[in-house]
Amino acid sequence: MTKVLVPTVCPYCGAGCGFYVAAERERAIGIEYMSDHPVSQGALCAKGNAALEILYHPDRLTSPLKRKGEGWARISWPEALDLVAKGLGQARKKHGPRSLAFLSSSKCSNEDNYLMQKLARLLGSPHIDNCARLCHAPSVVGLNKTLGAAGMTNPIPDIASSRCIFIIGSNLAENHPVISRWIHRAKDRGATVIVADPRATPTSWMADVFLQLEPGTDVALLNGMAQVIINEGLIDREYIGLKTKGFEALALEVKDFTPQRTAEITGIAPEDIVRAARAYATSPASAVLYSMGITQHSTGTDNVQAISNLALICGQMGRPGTGVMPLRGQNNVQGACDMGALAEFYPGYKRASDPATLKFFRAAWKAEDLPPGPGLTATEMIEAAGSGEIRAMYIMGEDPANSDPCSEHARRSLESLDFLVVQDIFMTATAQLADVVLPGAVWAEKEGSYTNTERRVQWSHKAIEPPGEARSDREIICDVARSLGLQFDYPDAASVLEEINRTVPQYGGVLRERLEGSSLVWPCPTADHPGTPILHSMGFSLAEGRASIVPVPFSPAAEAASGDHPFILTTGRLAVHHNAGSMTRRSPSLISREPDLYVEMNREDAAALDVEDGDEVRVATVRGETAAYARLTDRLKKGVVFMPIHFPGTNILTTDATDPEARIPEFKVCACNVFRRD
Amino acid sequence: MAVYIDINRCIGCRSCEVACQRVHGGHGHINVHYVREYAAVPVLCHHCQEAGCTMVCFTGALYKEGERTAFDVEKCTGCGLCALACPFGVVWTDKIAHKCDLCQGREAGPACIATCPANALSDDFDLATRRARERTVRAAAVGGKR
Repeated sequence: MTKVLVPTVCPYCGAGCGFYVAAERERAIGIEYMSDHPVSQGALCAKGNAALEILYHPDRLTSPLKRKGEGWARISWPEALDLVAKGLGQARKKHGPRSLAFLSSSKCSNEDNYLMQKLARLLGSPHIDNCARLCHAPSVVGLNKTLGAAGMTNPIPDIASSRCIFIIGSNLAENHPVISRWIHRAKDRGATVIVADPRATPTSWMADVFLQLEPGTDVALLNGMAQVIINEGLIDREYIGLKTKGFEALALEVKDFTPQRTAEITGIAPEDIVRAARAYATSPASAVLYSMGITQHSTGTDNVQAISNLALICGQMGRPGTGVMPLRGQNNVQGACDMGALAEFYPGYKRASDPATLKFFRAAWKAEDLPPGPGLTATEMIEAAGSGEIRAMYIMGEDPANSDPCSEHARRSLESLDFLVVQDIFMTATAQLADVVLPGAVWAEKEGSYTNTERRVQWSHKAIEPPGEARSDREIICDVARSLGLQFDYPDAASVLEEINRTVPQYGGVLRERLEGSSLVWPCPTADHPGTPILHSMGFSLAEGRASIVPVPFSPAAEAASGDHPFILTTGRLAVHHNAGSMTRRSPSLISREPDLYVEMNREDAAALDVEDGDEVRVATVRGETAAYARLTDRLKKGVVFMPIHFPGTNILTTDATDPEARIPEFKVCACNVFRRD
Repeated sequence: MAVYIDINRCIGCRSCEVACQRVHGGHGHINVHYVREYAAVPVLCHHCQEAGCTMVCFTGALYKEGERTAFDVEKCTGCGLCALACPFGVVWTDKIAHKCDLCQGREAGPACIATCPANALSDDFDLATRRARERTVRAAAVGGKR
C-alpha cells in the first residue's frame, strides 16, 4: 500500500483551514499542509497540527453502550437502536412529540445536521437546536434583523484589502490564528487596527489603538463612536439615504453618548474613543470583526445591532475591505445554522413560525404534518428537561453538562430525563448522564460538506475507518430514524447534499461535483452561479432593499460587582484548547501546554488578597465555586478576573442570565470572589 | 539558510512548537517564550556561521554542512557540551542532543515556516526589515497619521 493524501477540513474552529491526512494501510500517519487553500494557504494553528492525536486516543468510544447500574455495558448496534427507538418512542407516545428535544452538532457536517433536524421535525418535535445558541445566536438574530442575512459579509482573505480593521470582543490571534496573517497583510499596506477588549491579548498586540473597556459596556462604546461620527459629520449621507432606514432615531439615541460620558461608562480615555471613531469612519474601507465578546452577553443582540449601525452610518458595507464579520467558533457552526438545526428556523433560515415554510417542507419531505416553531432553544431545553416538560433527548456531539452556564444545574436537569441518548466520540460529561451512548465518527472517518465562518462550503473526504464499531453520524441518524419507522434512505453524504440543493435556496448550486478540489461561498442559488463572497453589494434583502438601523439603548450586564462578590469574572479561550475541551484536553501536545484551570488576575488585586503567582485559589459565585491556580498579570484592569472555558470548573460559576431575544447566556460577565485556598 | 523571525508578527500561538514536535517524533526544536504580556518570541537554532556547538563537539556529531549546522545522531554521546556552548539555549540533551535540522528531508521546507498562521517565520533574511520599510513608506505617504 502506498501513502495517499486525503483532503480534509480542520475539525476545530470556524476558519475552515484545509489539510491533507496522510493515510497508509487504513491508518492516518501524518498531516501535510495545503498550500493552495484560500484561507489558510498551508498554515495551521497548534490545534490543527495536533488534530490526529485524537484519532487513536484510548478513550475513543468503540461500541454502543447502555447504562448498567453504576457502570456501562457494551451492546450491539441492533440492541442499541432498539433501546433508542423505545426510549424516544415511549416518551413520544406517552407525552406527545413535543416532549422530545434534539441537540444537533456544530462539529458535524451539513449533511449530519440536515438529517438531525429533519428527524426531529418528522417526529413532530419543534425542539431542535445546536450550540450556536451559546456562541452566535445574537448574530443570527441581530444581523438578520439589520442586514437581512446572518453571516460574515466578506471573506477572510478580503480583510487584507481593508484600510481600518476594528476588532471588538474577539481574541482571534488565539482563537482563529490564521486570520492574523490577513490582518498583518492589511497592516503592511497601511491599515489601522483598533482592538476593543477588557483584556490585553495577542490580538491587541496587533493594535494601533487598544480600547480596554469594562466587560459588558460594548453598546456604550459603539454608541459613543457613533456619536463622534455623527457629531463630526463623518457619516456617509449618500449611503444612509439610499440604502438604510432608521438613521434619525439612532442620531437621537446616541446624542448623549459624548466621549466624556462614554469614557465614564467604559473606562476608556475619551481621546481614544474619538481616535477610533475617526479612523473607522474616514478610512476608504473599514471592517468590523467580532466574536463572543460581543455575543455572549445579556445584551448580545443589542451589541450586534450596534455594530451594524456603525457600519451602516459610515457606508462601510458591500465593498472589498469593508463589512461586518462575526467569527464563528466551530468548524461547522455556520453550516449547522444554515441547515436549520435551530429552534426558530427550518433549513435556509425559513421561519419556523411561517405557514409557507411548513407548506414547503411538507411537500419536500412528503410529510403529512410538521411542527411549527419556534421550538425550545438549547438552553431552554435543559430548563424544560428539569421541569419535566421535555422527557427524552437525543444529543449529538455536544456537551451541555460542561459547556452550559451554571453547569451543575444543567447536569441535574439532564439527570431528570426519562431517556437520554448521546452520540459522541468520547465519554463526555453529558454522555455520562445518558441511558444509551452511540459511538460516532470524527471528521477524518467520514465525508461531508462543512461551511466555515465566511460561508465557504468545502468537502471533507474520508481518510480512514472509524474505530471498532463506531459509525458515521449520518449512518447512525438514518438507523435511528428507520428504527422509529421513518423513511431515511441516504446511502452516502452526497445523496443528502442533493436534497439540500433542492430545499436550501442558498445551497441550490452547491453541487457535490463542484466541491471537488474547490469550494463555493453561499448564496449560490444555481448550478452555474459562482457564489457570493461579498454580501450586500447590491442592497439588502429586506423591505425596500434597505438595511435597518436599529437604535439600541445601553443597559448594563445582568450582574454587577458587589460587596460579597467584588470581582467581575469574564471568560474566554486559549490558543491550545478548544471549547469544552473534550478533544484538546485529550491531545497530549495541547494539554501539556495548558494543563490546568487558572484564574488570571491583576497584580494589585492579588496583592490585596495576599495571593502570589501560582497560588491555589477558590473562585466563587452565587452558583458555586471552583478551584484554580492564580496567574498574575497586567493584562486585566483592577476588579476584572479571567478564566478559560476549556475546563469543567469554569461554567460552574457562570450565570444563566440570557439575552431576551437570542437566548444566549451571559458567559462574559458575572460577579465573583477569589479566596486563598488555605 | 535559517528560519528568520518577524517579532512584530508573532502572536504566540505555539503552532510552530506543535508542528515541530509533530514532524520530529515528539521532540520539538523551537520554543515560544513570552515577554510578560507584551510579546512572544520563538527561539530556535540560528545555524551560526561559527557555531559554538560544532566547535566543542569532540565526536563530530555536530558539524557545518554548508550554511546548515547539521547533526549526526549516530556519533552523539549525549555529553551535553553543545548545550553549554550554545549562547541561545537552542541545543539541549536528554540521552542525545536535540536541535533544529531545518526539517531535512521534508520537501516543502521547515514545517514551522509553513504552519505559522501569522507569517511570522520565513526563510527570507530581509523579510522583516522589508515589511518595516514598507510600513514606513506608507505612513510617510499618508502624512504619518494613523
